[in-house]
Amino acid sequence: MIMGNRAGLITALVLLIVLLLMPQIAPRVGLAISVCTEVLLYAIAAMAVNLLIGYTGVLPFGNAAFFGLGAYGAGLSIEYLHVGFIASIVLGMIASFVGALLIGPFLLRRRGIYFALLMIAFGQVFYFIAYRFTDITGGEDGMNFARPAVEGLGVVLKDQQFYYAMLVVFALVMIGFLLLVRSPFGRTLLAIKENETRARYLGLNTDRFIFVALLISAIMEGLAGACYGLSIMFAYPLMLDWHNSGNIVLMTILGGSGTLFGPFIGAVIFVVGQEILSTHWIWWQIPLGALFVACVLGFPKGILGTALDLFSKRRGGFASEARELVHGTTYSEREIVP
Amino acid sequence: MAHIAPEIFNGLILGAFYAVVAIGLSLIMNLTGTINMAHGSFMTLAGYLAFALVSAGTSYWFALAVAPILTLIVGVLTERTLIRPLYKRDPVYSLLLTFGLSLIAEETYRLVWGDNGVPFSPPVALQSAVSLGFIEFPAYRLFIAGVLLVIIVALVVFLQRTRVGLRLRAAVQDNEMIAALGTNTQLLYMMNFGLGILLAGVAGVLASGMLGLNPQSGNALLMPAFVTVIVGGMGSIFGAVAGGLLIGLTISIVTLYIPAASEIAMYILMAVILLVRPRGLFGEEGIFG
Amino acid sequence: MSDVTLDRKSFLTTAAVASAGLVTGFPAILPSRAFAADTLRVGLNEEYTGVYAAYAQSETRGAQMAMDAWNARGGVMGGTKVELVQADNNNNPGTSVEKTRQLVLVQKCPVLMGTINSADSLAVSGAANALNTFFIDSGGHADAVTGEKCEYSTFRTCHSTWMETHATGYSLAKKFGKKWYMIIPDYAFGHALQAGYHAVGKQIGVEFVGEDLTPLGTTDFSPYLTKVLAAKPDLLLVLVQGDDFVNCLKQTTQYGIVGKVPIGGPQVELEAVWALPKEARVGYWGVEWYYTGVSVIGSGNKLADGFISEYRKKYGQPPTARSAFGYITMDRMLWTVNEAKSTNAAKMAKALEGAKFRSVWDGEGYYRDVDHQLMWPMWVGQIRAQGTPEDTYDIFDIVDRQEAEKIEQSVAEKKAVCHMNWPT
Repeated sequence: MIMGNRAGLITALVLLIVLLLMPQIAPRVGLAISVCTEVLLYAIAAMAVNLLIGYTGVLPFGNAAFFGLGAYGAGLSIEYLHVGFIASIVLGMIASFVGALLIGPFLLRRRGIYFALLMIAFGQVFYFIAYRFTDITGGEDGMNFARPAVEGLGVVLKDQQFYYAMLVVFALVMIGFLLLVRSPFGRTLLAIKENETRARYLGLNTDRFIFVALLISAIMEGLAGACYGLSIMFAYPLMLDWHNSGNIVLMTILGGSGTLFGPFIGAVIFVVGQEILSTHWIWWQIPLGALFVACVLGFPKGILGTALDLFSKRRGGFASEARELVHGTTYSEREIVP
Repeated sequence: MAHIAPEIFNGLILGAFYAVVAIGLSLIMNLTGTINMAHGSFMTLAGYLAFALVSAGTSYWFALAVAPILTLIVGVLTERTLIRPLYKRDPVYSLLLTFGLSLIAEETYRLVWGDNGVPFSPPVALQSAVSLGFIEFPAYRLFIAGVLLVIIVALVVFLQRTRVGLRLRAAVQDNEMIAALGTNTQLLYMMNFGLGILLAGVAGVLASGMLGLNPQSGNALLMPAFVTVIVGGMGSIFGAVAGGLLIGLTISIVTLYIPAASEIAMYILMAVILLVRPRGLFGEEGIFG
Repeated sequence: MSDVTLDRKSFLTTAAVASAGLVTGFPAILPSRAFAADTLRVGLNEEYTGVYAAYAQSETRGAQMAMDAWNARGGVMGGTKVELVQADNNNNPGTSVEKTRQLVLVQKCPVLMGTINSADSLAVSGAANALNTFFIDSGGHADAVTGEKCEYSTFRTCHSTWMETHATGYSLAKKFGKKWYMIIPDYAFGHALQAGYHAVGKQIGVEFVGEDLTPLGTTDFSPYLTKVLAAKPDLLLVLVQGDDFVNCLKQTTQYGIVGKVPIGGPQVELEAVWALPKEARVGYWGVEWYYTGVSVIGSGNKLADGFISEYRKKYGQPPTARSAFGYITMDRMLWTVNEAKSTNAAKMAKALEGAKFRSVWDGEGYYRDVDHQLMWPMWVGQIRAQGTPEDTYDIFDIVDRQEAEKIEQSVAEKKAVCHMNWPT
């Protein structure tokens, strides 16, 4: 367990302390606290993608649809059902879950490129629905909604309190992810990723496992999306668009897919980087695009993955503990590249 | 009800358009597993190059011939430097890399030619409507239809009747074997990619005369092209043509009766076809699952 | 054995330092954003990337000119200089909100202006209000900004969608007739335009012989255009915007509609018209402001003349309506700060409400109390295929002018939908 891995525990603690102090650090370096919240939430979204790419071996490129469904689910439930804070998040997660249930069956029998293409296409369907039903969703103008009070406490969370609440959510998601990855279910996913045919010969219904992984991933994305909608108090169709999917996939790969902390690192670099770049250069899409290209060509294992490679080449005996720290689970001769 | 004939005609032409773009995408995907999210950017590039040529004083016809070739050169350079390293890897990487390229491309077009788009028209000779008896139809669209038909026929001839075409088809089936038989697969991949981009280039110049030419115009055609590939079936050129025509017709007819649904119609069509034929209409067994 | 212990310690340290360093060190390499103390920072939140980039640039130029003029006169509140802080919202409502918070909380801008895309305007309006910050929407047209989603801290300079449809509706019915065909983009803005034209149509007795909702990004308008020819309307209203607008007009020419049916629409941006190929430069369109013409800028309007000539000299092109929005907004923003002697949103709002002023058009205008909409006229112009011999940019013939009170919803109608939550 995490207790047994001291390295992991200490890293997590250090990270936690830094994140707890962010509200003091951020303004000093010219970042609004809401950007830090954005980093945490996109880290969760990237982890959802990580589950599929890094631990199951499938390509999800329409995942932003679930992110957006979460945001709209929260927004619509606030506007029309007048629910509270936690309820709106739960309803957002349910919306994503239902979305995944609807398109899952189409994706199941396909793998590789087909899976990716289909997911992009179906993701776009949800995008158009958000655009089309203007009367309900506000269409292209998006929908404004107020942050409801937290049930039981009767308080509306302000920016800094909201950040801490999101930090709690983030921590819970990280722990949950770790537990998931170490569970028998998680190990089955890894087996499927490594060699699906072999898994099938062992009698596993790989389709079903992948479907469940997709559902879990969708729920995580929905959580991230609902919280993000609550952060900016707005939901809009571009959240569902495949460009947003591409950004989230980049965060995962940049940080290192198949690793625990990779998505978080990727989210930090992407969100903060975009914030800085867009302030200084109007043509900041060029360095962003270049980052995609450089990452794919030079850093396919992402930052953590490449670091782990460098590290384990030199400290042979310790390699497996390092791997456990990085991936969250132990396994022998594993290729990080999906 | 009298409207349906022109609608069908329109739909077929639109469909031929999607087909040409989809064929280019499909060629690239089938052989090397590369998902080219920058396909639309290449189309836009061809449009802008044609605009630049015409602005410099050449005729439209010259631009139509030369711009796709220039785009082809850019495409081949891209393939050799950026895409080749990805062939052995998972398709997610080509997705991401070409996505990144499309971002760079769009911003570059903005910097060079401005944000607002540039005016690009077909030559005056093609700018009027021609009376076809049952309707008045834009001469330019008839011209496009003609060009697309020529392209599709030429492509089929190329693939079925020439040695290179034969090798391409063989490589799609089994590229280890063909390498073992002595073919230079790297060269083949390059030609294949180049062909796909050439098609994109021609489509791009044609499209620019009909639609606006601005930094995003290529992307609008990218999604329908992907849907066409899915509907028609991966691995099949014939499928791409059939899929394109089917989608073009569907969009046109739905637009006539329920305009609000015309965009979503192609996705619904895709879903329905996938339920009945999970590989798409003419999808080939074993290619990318 | 001792090797392993050493490795573990160093690994732990590396891990700890790496994670801490990454999370804090990265932003620490941000170049510091130093500002001169004691300036008034006006936050300008615009769509510098994306389809509206050209408009964003025009608005920014106008705003800068107004700011320079004030600074040349000594600034505001007895000597405080004004500084412009720009933020790119990337034509994305989420980013618009983040940038709003950035401008107000981190870059210490007490007042905000900007936005072009209505989605961004609504997002910024809400976010600014949550921070009790004064915001003038310079370029977003959605009725909701001064309607159901109005805020006490938000004002709007450009015309509302309602004003656009009513100005052109009255004008074009008078000129061409009352059998209309409409091609409408199927999204919120399009629906608002459709509703507006229905309202004005009802008032003057229009027969709608055809209405088609086209999906955004429609590249092929042929199905609709063949229907138009068959329906033989007096007027074809083209409500699509941006790229769709260009596509549609190009295709109406190719279908031979141009000679047969007059074409019109609620509004057109000069930047867009300049990019149109010659054969698509047709029709009668709402014009929110134009740089020449007595009915627009009047004669002897020193402010307008000065604005126009200086803009042309500086940028090589005439100012567009967007430039005017930027100019008027910044000018009124600074006037209000000066007048209220404060940047407190409520005080500023009270000072600006109802205050009459003259600016770069002929006549007086004011931001209305009930909804904070700027009440100023709208014009209708016919596009010329080429410019005049003296001026290639001059492609509009202004043919009509409609006054604000006539074309906007009445105070009573607005009261019913707009409820401002003033702070106690």
